[in-house]
This record gives sequence, structure tokens and C-alpha cells, in this order.
Amino acid sequence: MAPIPSREPVSDRALTFLSKLKALFGRHRDDVAFDEEILTHLDLLAAKFQREGMTPSQAVRAARRQFGNPTLLKQRQRESRTIMFFAHIFADARYAFRQLAKTPVFTIVCILTLALGVGANTAVFSVMHTVLMKMIPAHEPTRLVVLRESERPDGTTQSGDGYDNSFTYAMYQALSTRKDAFQDVMTYVPLAFSGKTPVRVGATPEVASGDMVSGNYFSGLGIGMERGRGFSSQDESQHASVVVISEKYWSSRFSRDPQIIGKTIFIKSLPFTIVGVAAHGFEGTEGARSLDFWIPLQDRPEFNAWGNSVGTDNKNFMRRDEWWCIRLMARLAPGISPQQALAQVFPTFRQAAYLGVPQAKQGQGKPPILSFSAPKQFGEPGDNQTKSLHTLMTMVVLVLLIAVSNVVMLLLARNANRQREFSIRLALGAGRMELARQLLVESFLLVTTGGVVAWLFASIATRALASWAQIDSSLQPDETVLWFTLAVLFIAALIFGLAPLRSAMSNDPQLTLKSSTAVSQHSAQKVRAGNAVIVTQVALCVVLLVGAGLLFGTLRNLINTPLGMKADGLLVFGVHPKHFTSTEQSVAFYQTFQQRLSALPGVTAVSMVENRPGSGWSNNDAGILIDGHKPVGSPDDTHFRNNGVGSNYFHTMGVHILAGRDFTDADTATAPKVVVVNETFAKRYVGPGSAVGHVVSASDQKDHYQIIGVVQDHKYTGITEETTPMLWSIFTQGSPEGELNYELRVQGEPMALLEPARRVAAQMDPDMPLLRPMTQAEQFTLSISEQILFARLAGCFGALAVVLIATGLYGTLSYRVSKRSPEIGVRMALGAQRSQVVWMVLRGSLTLTAAGVLLGVPLAVAACRGLESSLYGIKPLDPVSYALAIAGVVLVALLASTIPAGRAASVDPSRALRAD
Amino acid sequence: MAADKSEVLQGTLDLMILKTLQALGPLHGFGIARRIEQLSEDVLTLNEGTVYTSLLRLQQKMWIASEWGLSENNRRARFYSITRRGLKQLAVETENWERIAAVIGRVLALEAKV
Repeated sequence: MAPIPSREPVSDRALTFLSKLKALFGRHRDDVAFDEEILTHLDLLAAKFQREGMTPSQAVRAARRQFGNPTLLKQRQRESRTIMFFAHIFADARYAFRQLAKTPVFTIVCILTLALGVGANTAVFSVMHTVLMKMIPAHEPTRLVVLRESERPDGTTQSGDGYDNSFTYAMYQALSTRKDAFQDVMTYVPLAFSGKTPVRVGATPEVASGDMVSGNYFSGLGIGMERGRGFSSQDESQHASVVVISEKYWSSRFSRDPQIIGKTIFIKSLPFTIVGVAAHGFEGTEGARSLDFWIPLQDRPEFNAWGNSVGTDNKNFMRRDEWWCIRLMARLAPGISPQQALAQVFPTFRQAAYLGVPQAKQGQGKPPILSFSAPKQFGEPGDNQTKSLHTLMTMVVLVLLIAVSNVVMLLLARNANRQREFSIRLALGAGRMELARQLLVESFLLVTTGGVVAWLFASIATRALASWAQIDSSLQPDETVLWFTLAVLFIAALIFGLAPLRSAMSNDPQLTLKSSTAVSQHSAQKVRAGNAVIVTQVALCVVLLVGAGLLFGTLRNLINTPLGMKADGLLVFGVHPKHFTSTEQSVAFYQTFQQRLSALPGVTAVSMVENRPGSGWSNNDAGILIDGHKPVGSPDDTHFRNNGVGSNYFHTMGVHILAGRDFTDADTATAPKVVVVNETFAKRYVGPGSAVGHVVSASDQKDHYQIIGVVQDHKYTGITEETTPMLWSIFTQGSPEGELNYELRVQGEPMALLEPARRVAAQMDPDMPLLRPMTQAEQFTLSISEQILFARLAGCFGALAVVLIATGLYGTLSYRVSKRSPEIGVRMALGAQRSQVVWMVLRGSLTLTAAGVLLGVPLAVAACRGLESSLYGIKPLDPVSYALAIAGVVLVALLASTIPAGRAASVDPSRALRAD
Repeated sequence: MAADKSEVLQGTLDLMILKTLQALGPLHGFGIARRIEQLSEDVLTLNEGTVYTSLLRLQQKMWIASEWGLSENNRRARFYSITRRGLKQLAVETENWERIAAVIGRVLALEAKV
């Protein structure tokens, strides 16, 4: 303001900016108001001149003169009233919205393409990131190590769902003393193999997942508490009856009761006092097992590692130095590297490893080895799972490539159609910056909408994938995933925005305006680039379709695999009764329960089984003698699977008995010991002739079992299982069982019997819930749930690719046909037949498709080799899958070109030539 | 434009408007233009529309405020008035102006030394 420019204070500039920002809304109102203000001024001025003696018309003219150009002033006011950049963006956004709304099909296809491409990508990336990378949510996880072993000494036993991460309690105690290497050694062990432990809060028994942990578990990991306290070393040494629950369990079971501390939970019928709620998000250190509660290590027979029942000596895992069953983690001492720690504790490890082994056997065989691994939340993922995730990721990248190129092609075609619009606007004085801004706004509008839909799609798909990967714990999209998605979106926006920009810029407005569309659009280079994109898309589509075909074939084979039993009409559930003091007591309990269940109306047969068929669990043994000799003609290792069952088992399961008899209630602990074997066992180990009557014994010849029956081969661990030699014994003749599964042969709907069965169970023991109840058929389906989901996802990706290819081809072809309509008109005027014109268009797209197939088949062959391990009963070079994929692509290409071809044939020569 | 008239300097107009509003109280654009015309005794020419450019600028800095009212010919008109912030600014600018005017005066009063 000052005559000599001084710097404007910040506050003035800020106020100006704010006022301009405010003016962004209500710009029209401000314009009207200013018009009125000017009119008043002009009137007053004219009136003044009239008073000074001018005629009315002279006065009006003089007023105009003195006031200056009102239009110019209005424009200047409008511009300085607000921030023009934003105002332009607003206008552009409105214009872009109108443009997009005018072509709804294009818009919807673009948005869905983006949403599916980017959304699928995000979902798979989320799950992959979690499974492969995520560390446990502990304090300074880089200072934590998970202990692993190999070459466990002979004469020791091991339990757990892994093979290299179990240790003895004695080992835990020994390593805990090595403060020079480890600041803390933490241990934990699940309370049940099945993951679920019977608990009771109110009157009804329930199940929950829990671990027994060392006193330094929470403090060593650095896990805080929402409420109350964690454990102390005193809790561990006194085996205190206290429990810490997870925040998730607190929410789901106790509705975040603020008075939770001090309440009692009955775990395996024993009261435990809640002393703490663990910090939000902590559900144990193994992501695949989401925990509800933790209790200190317990020194009593009811609380054995993995829920195993203790032997007759009543010793639990704390008193058995030969039993490798607990997990160990350690926090490294300050300044010690993992390598140093390993070297320092190795002598201690070695000494402790032999603690449970008889003196004579010590030092035999390979020396035991200790190693560390990073505390990944999902451990080292299984080979199959990692491979499946990688396959999915590859498919997703292919789909994303197709999707992005598709949208670019659609936008290119669309903007090429709008070249006249651009040219006219350029000719009328629109700046190139303005055009660029408008195109960018348009593509950002598309991408943002696509992104929002993609995020919705991703959160649904993430949940589905997480349940497939068996990640119970609440999978939240973390920041990495978010940034990854945003990066993908941003790059997409740039590509989409800039691609049409170049062609719009390189346009010479005069040429476009002067010449007809036929002339202005003949750029061989552009056509070639479009062809290359289509060929690549078709090739990628072939790869996806072949993959999907192979996986669907696998699924069909799995579903049609004969089980060798009647899985329909069977209800199965597990029970985990209280601790029994004697074998007789436990047998009596299980048999009484069996009889009471048999008495239920609608139940035709009931039996029990130790490892539930279809659940993946099995007992595997090796080394038997038949009639006191090594089996004839078989290798040294006589591997076989076995299972403990109840009376009437094969009858209940609907397994055909080929020779001999089923187990009966007469096969008691005191009766002669008996087994049933399957066909393969009989053929391979007993030899020709009936196996019934032969005697099986372990290599130490301690116990002898007579074969009383041979049954048809049937599936045990799951559907994909190869036929193996199998042997069954009756549970009454074995060691006491901690947990048994009941199989109920039912008339009608099996699940209808669940409630009556629950009532019977409650009569037997009010604290005994029914574990994992379901139909036996469902249990078998669960054993292939990974394959089912994998095949379905692959199918989705295949279908997605086909849809994308179809829209891409259709868009490109119809654009080309519309460009060529003058040419077609000339051809028809010169005597070309309609059929020739149709064929010309079809030939074009078929040539492209053929080129794509030629490129795609070798790619598919290479890609599907990596799929081999995921296939079942189908070869990676399965000709049917290839033929179907090629047929599918060709069909889609034909369908996509039918409409453009029809349009080409209906070109009216006279109109086509007259246009422009 | 006559030779004996000079154009209004951009920043000067802002200062003149502020002073006018301080002296006379709320005025509409026409009133402000008349007052400046009177005071300048036809020395300064004014494209009257420019007053509004200046008014918008002053308003965005919140040195003046405006409200709708009725003009003498019974039409709706916007009346501008100076704000507290504007008064402060006017004081600063006045002092500034006087200082510079004095300097310029002294410079122009210098007589050439022979």
C-alpha cells in the first residue's frame, strides 16, 4: 500500500489468503452482489451529471466514461477475489465429472478395472507381508531370538506342531542361568494340541486358547498391560493360580468389563484369578494361534504340555527331562550378537540335551545343534503356503498389468476421439497448461474413485485371504500396505494422466481442424503400439486361464476323490474330560458316554477315534515284526500310520470290512490284544493270503497283537493323502487318552444331534465342552480348504482377466472401426461386400489374438511348472486346460469384435464419405 | 487526459480511502469517489472503477468492513467502514508517508551548486 513498497506483514497475507479461500464458496453470489454495486454507482454518477445539466443519455454515457470498463473490472475483481488455481480445479473437476457421467460405461469399466486390479493387489500384498515379514509385536524384536534345534539325541521324545522348536524344561532351566548371553529366556507351551482348552466363566462350559508361560514372559517380551499386571518370577516358582487374558478375549467374552481384575475363570475345572489384560494387539507370539489367556507354568498332572495326559508315574513335562515339548525364546544380553550368544551357550545346551538320556546312550549319533531364528509372527511359513502366496502374487501382478494397460488404452482411445474438442479449445486460446490440468484432474478423479472402491474391495478380500492363510489374529492393513497402495495409485494416475496428454499436445490444431478424421488419425506407430498392448494382454490372459484351469482341475479331482468311507451322515466332536487317576476310570468314562450317545433317538451307531479323520493329525510309526519276523520282501523301514479307535468303529464310519471283524466291547484291556489293518498293510507287510490271524509286534517283541480284521483302504489325514499301510488298535488296550473324538452315525441332518449330545455331555461332566463339532464331511472339506480357496481365487483372477481383455479389445476395436468408417465407406462404395467388411474387422482381431496365444502358450508352460506342487491328479501340461484357455481367449476376442464388426458393416457409404 | 492532471499512484489510493473512511465514517463506493474528487480539486483523475479494486484489497486484509444499506436514490449499496486494524494501519502509513514526503521535499529543495 505504501508508495514505496514495503514487505507486507505475514498476518495481512494470511488474512488475504483466508478471505480468498472463503470466497471459493459462493463465487456466484459475490458476482451478483458486485454487479448490483456497480449499477448503483453508475446510477448515482449519471444522476449527478444530470443535476449538472446533462441530458439523461449524455449523463449515462459520461458516467460510463468516468467509471471505466465495467466488464474488465468485474473480471479483475473476480480473479483477485479468490484463488484462481483452486477455482480452476473446481471447474475442471465439475467438467471432468460431467464428461465421465456422459460416458457411464467407460467410467464404470475404468473404475471397476482399477478397483479390482489394485484391490486384489493390496489384499494379497497385505497377507503376504503379514505372513512373511511381520515381527511379533514385542519391544525391540531385533534383540529377540527364537530357539531351534536339530539332531535331538536318540532316546528322547518330542511333541508339538513343529519339528525343530521343542525343548525340555530342564533345557529351559539350564539356559536361564546363562545371563552372560541371554538377558531373559522365556518359555511357553500350549495347554492343548487342539488349541482349545475347556474353561468356564459362568455356568456353561466353553473353550479358549491358552498357554502356560514363564514368569518373565510379558516382561521379557516387553508387552505392556491394558489392565492389572503381568506375571512375576514368583508366579512361576509358586505356580500361582493367576491368569492374564488377551485384550481381544476381554472384549469378546467380557465386553471390556472394567471390573475384570480379580474375577475367576475355571480352567480345566480349577479356579484362576484374572490379574491382568495384555496390551491391545498381543495375542501370543505365534500368529497362527491367537491366544485368549496365559497362566504361569503349572506343576500338576492336569496341566501337562499340549494337554497330554500324564503316565502312571503322574509326572508332567516339568519332571520329564527326555520330553522335548516346550518353546523357547530369548532376549539377547546387551552388546551380544546372536553368533556370540550361540557360541557361549552351546556347551550348556549340549549338556542339557543329554539330561534325559541314559548314560550309555549319551554322545551317540550326531551331536545336537542349536540355532536361532527371527521372531516372525508367523514363524517360517510352510513351503506350500509361501508358494501359494507367491503364485497368487504373480497372478495379481499379471491382472494389475492387464488392468492398468486396459485403462490406458481406454483413455487413449477416448481422448483420441476428443482430439477435435482439444483442437478447438486450443484454437480458441486455451493454454496447453489448462488442457494438461484438465486431463490430470480427470484421471485423478477416475483414480481416486477407483482407489476408494479398491480399498473397500481390498478390505473384504484381505479378510477372506487371512482366513485362508489361517491367521486368526485380527489382520489390520498396516502402513506399509497403505503406502504401497498409494504408490500404485499414484503411478497409475501419472500414467493415465500423461498418456493422453502427449497425444493432445503433439496435435497441430490447424491440421485437425482442416482435415477429416480419416487423414488426421492415420498414425501407423500408434496402431502398432496398440497392437503390442493387445497381444501382451492376450498372452497374459492365456497364462492366467491355463493356471486357473489347472487349479480347477485339481479341485475337481480332490472333490471326486473316493474317501473309502461314508462321510455323509456323520457328526463328529471331541471331548477333553478332567484328569483321571487310572486307566480303568478313563475307559469307563468314555464307554459310558458312548452308550448314552447311542441311546439318543436318531443315532444309529457311535464310536470313538483318537486322531480325527480329515484333521491332518496322525500317529506315524515304523519298525514292526509280523509273526516274529521282519515283513517279507519289504525294506528295513516298515512305515505305517496308526490310530486308536473305539468299538464298532468301522461299522460307524461306513468302512467296508474285507475280512474278519470290527472291534467290539469284548476287546477289553484284559482280553487278548487285537488290531485291524488296511488292505495295503495286509498286502505289503503280511503277504498273500488272509492277514487275519497273524500277529503283529513292535521290534522289541514286548506286546503282541493279533490281526482280527482287514478293511478297505480309506482316507485318514485328509483327502490328498496317498494310500499308506494303516493299523488300528482299540483305545481300551492302550495308554489312557486325554482327548477322544466321537463319531455319531445319524439319520437325517447330523448337526441336529449336536444339542442333544451337548446335554448328554453336561450330565457326564458340567465342565466338559464339545470340541470343534462339525460333520465328518465338512472335516474332510476343511482338509482341502486351502486348495479350494486357491482354486477359487485363481478362477476369479482368470475371469477377471477375461473380462478385462474383453473390454479392452472391444474398446480398442470399436475405436478403430469408428476411425476407419470413411475408409470403409470408400471400400463399400467401390463394391466391397458387407461380409468382406465384417471379415476384415474380425481378421484384424483374430490375428492379434493368434499372436497373443503364440506368445502366451510358452509363457504358460514356463509359469505352470512352478505350480506343479500345488496340483493333484493333473499334469502341468494338461492339454485340456490349454485347449480350454485358448478357446476361451478366442471366444472372448470374437465376442468383443462382433459389435464393432457389425457397426463397420452397417456403415452407409454416402454418409461416411460426406461426414467432415 | 488533460496535461495538468496526474494519475493516482496505486498505494496512495488505498491510503486515501482509509483516511476518507476514518474522517467521514461509513460510505459507499460512489461517496468515496466523490470525496476524493473533491479533495484533489480535480488535480487527480480517477477511473472510478479502480476504487473497487482497492476496496476489495483493503477488505481482504480486514482493514475495512462492509455492510449493505440504502443509497440516497433508494438503491441497495454496500457501505464501507474502517476497522480497528485499519485505524492502526492508517497511523503507521500516515507517519510513513509524512517521513518520505519530508525527505522528497528536502531533496527537491536542494539548490544546484555552481
